[in-house]
Amino acid sequence: MSLLKERRVLIFGASILVGFLFIVLLRAHGTAGNTLQQEAALPSLIQTEQENQQLAADNDKLRQELAKYNEGANTSALALQQLQDSNMNAGLIPVAGPGIRITLNDAQKKGVSDDPQNYVIHEAYIRLLVNILWSGGAEAIAVNGQRIMGSTEIFCSGPYIQINGTRQVPPYIIEAIGDIHNLQSVLNFAYTWDQLGDFQSVYGITRKLEVVDHLHIPAGKPQKVQYAQPVKEGS
Amino acid sequence: MAPWKRELALPVTLVAIALGILISIAVQTQKNVSAAEKINAQRMTAAKSVLTNVQAQNDQLKKTNQQLTAQLEQARKQGRTDPAVLAELDRAGILDGTRKVEGPGVQIFIDDRKQDHKTVLPITPDNLLEIINTLRFAGAEAISVNQQRIVASTAIVYSGSSTILVNQVPITRVEGIPYEIDAIGNQDTLVDYFSNLEADALKKSGINVSIVRKTVQIPSFKGSRTFRLAKPEQND
Repeated sequence: MSLLKERRVLIFGASILVGFLFIVLLRAHGTAGNTLQQEAALPSLIQTEQENQQLAADNDKLRQELAKYNEGANTSALALQQLQDSNMNAGLIPVAGPGIRITLNDAQKKGVSDDPQNYVIHEAYIRLLVNILWSGGAEAIAVNGQRIMGSTEIFCSGPYIQINGTRQVPPYIIEAIGDIHNLQSVLNFAYTWDQLGDFQSVYGITRKLEVVDHLHIPAGKPQKVQYAQPVKEGS
Repeated sequence: MAPWKRELALPVTLVAIALGILISIAVQTQKNVSAAEKINAQRMTAAKSVLTNVQAQNDQLKKTNQQLTAQLEQARKQGRTDPAVLAELDRAGILDGTRKVEGPGVQIFIDDRKQDHKTVLPITPDNLLEIINTLRFAGAEAISVNQQRIVASTAIVYSGSSTILVNQVPITRVEGIPYEIDAIGNQDTLVDYFSNLEADALKKSGINVSIVRKTVQIPSFKGSRTFRLAKPEQND
């Protein structure tokens, strides 16, 4: 059946219209995709901003230190003060102060049907709790009398947990000096702390928290430095 | 001309009306889209200029930081400080992370971005803590994660559901491989421990992992540490 000329023209016109509508739709879709690119710029903005704040604070610290030298203070005394600060940061000086003590212990009776792993304290719990306490502003932490330093490993070696190269067995006692309210509240928000509470009621492990007015946290032994060299900015 | 059929009049009118509406909507949409495009472009340029500013500020701050550190080193040397104390200061600065350090070590790249035909479990703060712990176990003397120096008091936590904070700074990378971990120490031990204890598990989660031996530079710790409650006691 052949179409009449006028109808062909009509269909042609309609096709063009439909095509036009399609293009409009596609363009609208295209712009929607574009916003993604813009959103990706935001995290890097926030990150750089935060890094800037960190740098600005560090610069202030350096300026203050430099000002002391420029004021003609006794350089030897300043260097010794700096050394004391560094050793304090590195955990090489024993400290005392208020804080909290967490005691974790394996369950005394082990169930037969369940996974035996549920009845013991794993090194990951200790590692996670230490991380949480730092995030809560802890100033010094020790586990079973081992000071947590930059080089400290909390590593599972079968029947014991290795900390600072020493073998530790349960009960594990985590002591942290810091603001007791902050330390308690970060624990309350922490999944690991919650989970240990569940394990206490279901499997009988020990999870105890005490507030202590006067904690003593011993100094750590400095790691031997063999490979790292300080980079001199001046030269 | 062919005679119009009466029964066609109604459908044709309806189609014509429908087309008319569609055309007007399309025109309207087109207008909105052009407006939206314009606004978007403006926003993009605004965001870009802010980002460029912040970036420039960042470069400036880094430069100032280097200059101040250099001046401080100079000031220490000029004073008649005992060289033994200066050496002690260097060592203590490596241990507490306040010195930028350089030395033989490893560079680890971890890529947890989504890939085709493969499910990838994204890296969590717990993963990073475990990797750092293993590097410490391997005797690493200095560690950094995305250029943040890891010290004793470094906390690694989520901010929101996916941004990871290290030393309270977000370490998310928008472009390139998401995580770079550098460590200085015995290269054989670092490679051996990382490969055997960490790499396999990560690979099983669909994550791409690489470790190379390299002389690396690790930046200084720039966060703050204050001792308000902890008082030093006599060394015994």
